[in-house]
Order: sequence, then structure tokens, then C-alpha cells
Amino acid sequence: MRVAVADDAVILREGLSRLLEEAGFEVVGLAADGDALLELVERTRPDVAIVDIRMPPTHTDEGLQAAKIIRRRWPDVGLLVLSQHVNARYALELLSDGTDGVGYLLKERVSDLDELSSSVNRVGNGGSVLDPAVVDELVGRRRNADSPLEHLTDREREVLALMAEGRSNRAIAERLFVTDNTVEKHVKSIFGSLCLPPSPDDHRRVLAVVTFLNS
Amino acid sequence: MKPKLYAVGVAGVLAGAGAAWLAAHQPSGRPTEPGALLTLLVGASLLGSGIAAWRARPENRLGLVMVLTGFAWFAAELVEARAPWLNTIGLAVQSVWIIGLVYLLLSFPSGRLPGRLDRAVVIGGLALGLGLQLVAMLYGNKTGLHCPGCANNLLQVVHDNEKAKAWIGLQHLIAIPFIGAVVVLLIRRWLRASSVQRRAVAPVLVAGCATLVALVVTVILDLFGDPLGALPANLYFTLMATVPIAVLVVFLQRRLARGMVAGLVVELGAPGDAASSDLRGALARALGDPSLELAFWFAAEGCYVDGDGGVVRLPDPDSRRRSTLVERDGQPIAALIHDPVLEHNAELVHSVCAAASLALENERLQAELRARVVELRASRARLVEATDAERRRIERDLHDGTQQRLVSIAMSLGLLESKLPGEAKGARPLVRETREALTVALAELRELTHGINPPLLTERGLPAALDELCRRAALPAHLDLALDRRLPDRIESAAYFVVSEALTNAAKHSHGSEVRVCASGNAGTLIVEVADDGIGGATTTGGSGLRGLADRVEALGGRITVSSPPGRGTTLRAEIPCG
Repeated sequence: MRVAVADDAVILREGLSRLLEEAGFEVVGLAADGDALLELVERTRPDVAIVDIRMPPTHTDEGLQAAKIIRRRWPDVGLLVLSQHVNARYALELLSDGTDGVGYLLKERVSDLDELSSSVNRVGNGGSVLDPAVVDELVGRRRNADSPLEHLTDREREVLALMAEGRSNRAIAERLFVTDNTVEKHVKSIFGSLCLPPSPDDHRRVLAVVTFLNS
Repeated sequence: MKPKLYAVGVAGVLAGAGAAWLAAHQPSGRPTEPGALLTLLVGASLLGSGIAAWRARPENRLGLVMVLTGFAWFAAELVEARAPWLNTIGLAVQSVWIIGLVYLLLSFPSGRLPGRLDRAVVIGGLALGLGLQLVAMLYGNKTGLHCPGCANNLLQVVHDNEKAKAWIGLQHLIAIPFIGAVVVLLIRRWLRASSVQRRAVAPVLVAGCATLVALVVTVILDLFGDPLGALPANLYFTLMATVPIAVLVVFLQRRLARGMVAGLVVELGAPGDAASSDLRGALARALGDPSLELAFWFAAEGCYVDGDGGVVRLPDPDSRRRSTLVERDGQPIAALIHDPVLEHNAELVHSVCAAASLALENERLQAELRARVVELRASRARLVEATDAERRRIERDLHDGTQQRLVSIAMSLGLLESKLPGEAKGARPLVRETREALTVALAELRELTHGINPPLLTERGLPAALDELCRRAALPAHLDLALDRRLPDRIESAAYFVVSEALTNAAKHSHGSEVRVCASGNAGTLIVEVADDGIGGATTTGGSGLRGLADRVEALGGRITVSSPPGRGTTLRAEIPCG
């Protein structure tokens, strides 16, 4: 899988690039700001672009804006946006244009080679990735007592969070040390409680879940 | 009265008597000349008013100008004298009084010609009225100079009747546009004057212009052989007599104004705070200048301030305003900023200042207090801004420095972990543990920087940041936003931290089940309100966090109010002006 990396800090771009190569990805180029990234993507058409949110010249959400442009111009390029802050709003902005091949992770999360590898693969294959810290914020949000979320069991909440992170039933099962069937049962029950239409597709249910959590 | 003025008066009476006698026994027999009575009236008016003005305002040159003009006026009658040398003098100074009149009008009320143009006009007038007259006299005999019955003129060099007539005719022809130009100059000055100046010069200007116009008409009619007889000359003589009287009236009016000072003293001494509340009004009335402004000396900063404590710059000397400084015991107290016309009445200004100095000192102390408050408020606002800037800088430094370095170390550890050979027993879990500890440290650092300066506030503004705050709140929080624009950083920042603190307090102390957060900006004020449905009974004094925020909001000119009736929840409301 071919990957492009954009980060204004040299140590992070280089570190990330070494990690990616170690994990067996081909790094097609490095960029230090949004414009350089757009140029790089146009030239190399990578499978995935990994983008730091805060980049020059404004040092605000340059990376997010670049990601949105890439999404519009080259919809088949997967996007993994990295941030140093837990910012649910940015994550949701990114997902709101469609969850296929989109991810939002905290920077330190990618220091885990397995996590990096699985996230890049998921995004490259059209799946979604949402950082657990963001999901925590969405799930952990205080709600009124009559919210259906309040009626979920602890286990169901766990499954819901993992779904929101963009994980497949199989990955959830592995994570929770249960069988695929058990996970499927939980998913069905959750969708029933939340009155969401059943969605067998692992990819598409992220949006439904996240939209519900954000409402 | 000084002996000098007596002497002038006696000389004037003698000159008047002589002129009247000559006017009554005109050997020239010119039918269009006004009689002895009008001649005497004009001269007496000039001399009398001149002496009175000289006495009232010795430093002002106008009294002298009027006296001299009066003598010139009488001297012009000498053309009727039989002695040749008297006749010669009379002929020579025929028009000098007009130049005196022009000088008087152009220099009123200061007695000094204000501009180069004015000086040029007076010099031109001298050349025209005296110069051309003398040239004509070189050729002139009696008939050539319109003086058939006169004695011989001593300056005559060549006897050429026609040339003398031509020179006099030229003089009259030039005089018409010249006097017209003077009238235009005066009207232009009138149009540019302030209302105070207009009021001060109106009587003189009206009488003077009317005289000049009547004079021009007389000269023009003279060219056509005086179809109206003596009427126009009588008219301008009469008008001329009013000019010195008008000058005197204006001067005396000012003396009357000085009587107002007594009224001022009474007014300022009146009990109650009426005097201090309108000191400016009282001074403006006493000085007759509604545009008067007061500036008070603020010793700490070495500058003048207005009643509200704002810094005032005194007008430059060449601007359209003037300032008079008021001192007390050698220390400056205040400055009066007024119309330039008051400069010509410095005595009045000084007496008013003296009468009001105590009240001014009082007012100055109050203004100084207000100025200190203004200064303090500004320094508080600067402190808040500096703190905000510092927060942003720390957050940025942490983001660009420490956080990045720690992330890169985590990445290196990740790489190390995967590169460790399988047989390095125990090393792999150790590296993983280290990396995970680092991740926890990063999460803590993230929380810390978020607390210092929430990035979303800088990047997306108050609405987005409040939205995030409500998402993270420990109680369910509903947000109502009615903000349509970004506000200055310091205001957004203050509002943000107010809501943040209020949400924390609600979660900790209210025992409520939900919170409502409202933020709206209208009419230049940002209002944020955080209301819970808890037990109420909160006090504003408790909690240093809230006190700090109140300080911060007040530093921006806003205020925080807390309403917390027992059992009915707590509502915290912050109002911050945002221009």
C-alpha cells in the first residue's frame, strides 16, 4: 500500500515514515504543509494520505482543510488525519463528508506499529478509524436519564464504542475475547435499543453510530 | 484720566472748532459737501470714541487709530483755509481718513493686521490715497483739484489743469474696485468666523461695510456729475460717524462682561453641587463662549485630562482654538480651551480664572481621580491581554516542542519494539510498557495544554469552543447560541473561561440534573449565561475561581452577576462589552 505523509515537524514526518516502512508500507513522499501535500497527492496518487491537522501557514486546521480538498478531488485516496488534541468536532467534520476511507487518530496512537498498520490498512480499504479518545468523549457525554444510551449494558457500551472506532465484528470479537456470534447479537440489540436501522455493513454503520452519539 | 489724553482731547476740540468754522465758511462753495454739523459729528465721534477706547484698553492700538483718523478727518477741511500751506496740507490728507477706516476695520478687534493681505491692502490704500494725491498736486491748481475758491497749492510744479484732473480721476477710478475689495475681504472674514467672533465684531463690521459701500456709491455718482446732490455724501458721513461708536460699544460690552465675573463668583459659591456639576457652563456663560472646554492638569502623567479622565491635547498656537492656563500657588490646575477672540479680552479671561480657581481645583481633583481610574482600567485590560497572549504562547510552545518531541520518542520506541529480535526476552514488554507510560504522559500533557488555552477557541472561535465545552461537561448541557461573528480574542477567551468555570461549579455544587448555556451578542454586548436546575443558594464570594473570572470580566469593562435563590437553581450571567 502506498502512503503519503504530511507534517510540519521534521522529527514526526521522518519518524512516521520509518514506522510505515517498518510496517511494510511504501512511503511515496513527505510534505510539510497543505499545499505541498495536495501537490504530492496529485503527483503520486497514494492509497492513503496521513495528514497532521495543525500545519503552516495558519497553524490552525490547515491539514483538515487539505484533507477536505483531497476528499473532493481524489475520493479514492484514503485519509488518516492526525492530531495532538482530542477534538470531536474536527473528527465529525471529517466523517460528515462520508466515512469511507477516513480516519482520525491522536498522534501518539500511531507509535504502536500494529495500531498504525491496522489503521492505514482500514482507511486504505475504504473503512473508517476514529480515535478511542474521541469515541470516549462521544459515548461518555452526559445525557439526560431518558436517553436510550442510558439503558445499554456495560458490555453493549463497549461494543458500541468499538463500532464507533470503526472496527469490524471480527476485530471487536478478538478485542473482547468472544465469538463473532456474540458480537453480532450485541450489535443487533444495540441497534434495536437505539432504534437504528440494522446495517450489516461494517463500514457504513460507523456513520449511523457516530451520528447517534453526536445528537 | 492721563494728562496725555487730556491734551489729545483739547487738541481735538480745537481741531474740531477750526474744521467746523472752515466748513461753515467754505470759500470753495462746493454744493455737494455736507455741512459743518456733519463734519463735526464724524470727527467728534472718531476723537471721542478713540479717547474713550484708548483709556479703556491702552494696550489696544485701535484707540490711537481712531484719534489719528479723527485728526485726519478734520485736517481734510483745511482745503478751505486761505493760507497756502494749510491748504496744501488739507489737499494732501484729503483721503487719509479712509485709510484709517480701512485699517480699523481690517484690524478689529485686536488692533493688529492679522495677515499679509491685510497689510498689503493698507499699504495699497496709502499709495492710492496719499501717493496719487501728491502726484496730482504737482500739476494741480484750484480747478483741477475741484477747489475753485482755494488758495494756491505749494506743491504745484507745473500748471496743468488737465493732468491734475486726470490723476484725480485715476485715483477715483482705482478707489472703486479697491474699496469693493476691502468689503469682499471683510465679508469673507465674517463667513469664516466662529459664532463667538461674529458676535464680537458684528456692530463694527456692519457699520464699516455700510460706510464703505456708501462711499463707493458717492464716488461713482461723482463721476456722473452728482445727480443726487449732497444726499450720498450726507449718508456716508452719517454712517462714518457710527463706526467709532460701534467700536466703543463693543469695547464697553466687554467691560460689561467683566461684571459677569461677579455673577460667576456668586454662582460658584452657591451651596449644593450645582456649581461643580456645571462649572464649564458657568464659565462659558461668564466668558460668552459656548464652545469653551475645560482641561485639568493631571500631575502624575504630566498631561491634561477632561472631566471623564480622558487625555486632552491643548490646541496648537496656530490652530483655530486657543488655550489659557490657570495656575494656583504656582501649580497648574487647568486649561481653558476657547475661541481665539477671547485672547483680545485677556483681562476678562484672567478675572474669570481667578474667580473660579478654587472650583477648578476641586474639579481637577475629581478629574484626576477619574483619570487614575481610566488608567487603572486600561492597565487591567492590558494585563488580561498579556495573560491571554502568554497562555497562547505556552500552549503553542508545548505543542510545537515538548509534545512533538514526546510523540517522536513514542514513535522511536514503537520502531524499537518491532525491531527487537524475538530472543530478546523481557525487552519487548518493557519497551511496550515504556511507550504506554509515555502515552499516558502525553494524555496528561494534552489535558494541561487544553486547560491553558483550548485550541478550538483559537482555531474556530467561541461557538465551536462552547459546543466542545458542553460536550465534555459533567452534567448534560444544552447550548443556545446567537453569535454571528468572531469577537476579539480577549472577549472570547473571558467568556469561554466563565462558562467553563460555571459548568465545573454546577457539576460540583448544584446537585442539578442539567445545565443550560446561552451565549448571545447584541447591541455591542456579549452575554453568556449558565443556568442549572440545582439547589441554588450559591454565593459569589465562595470560590476563588469565580472571583478571578469576575476580575477578568470587569477588566474588560463587563460584569458578572450570580442569581441563586435557594431551591431554584443557580444562574451565572456575564456581560462583556465588545464594541
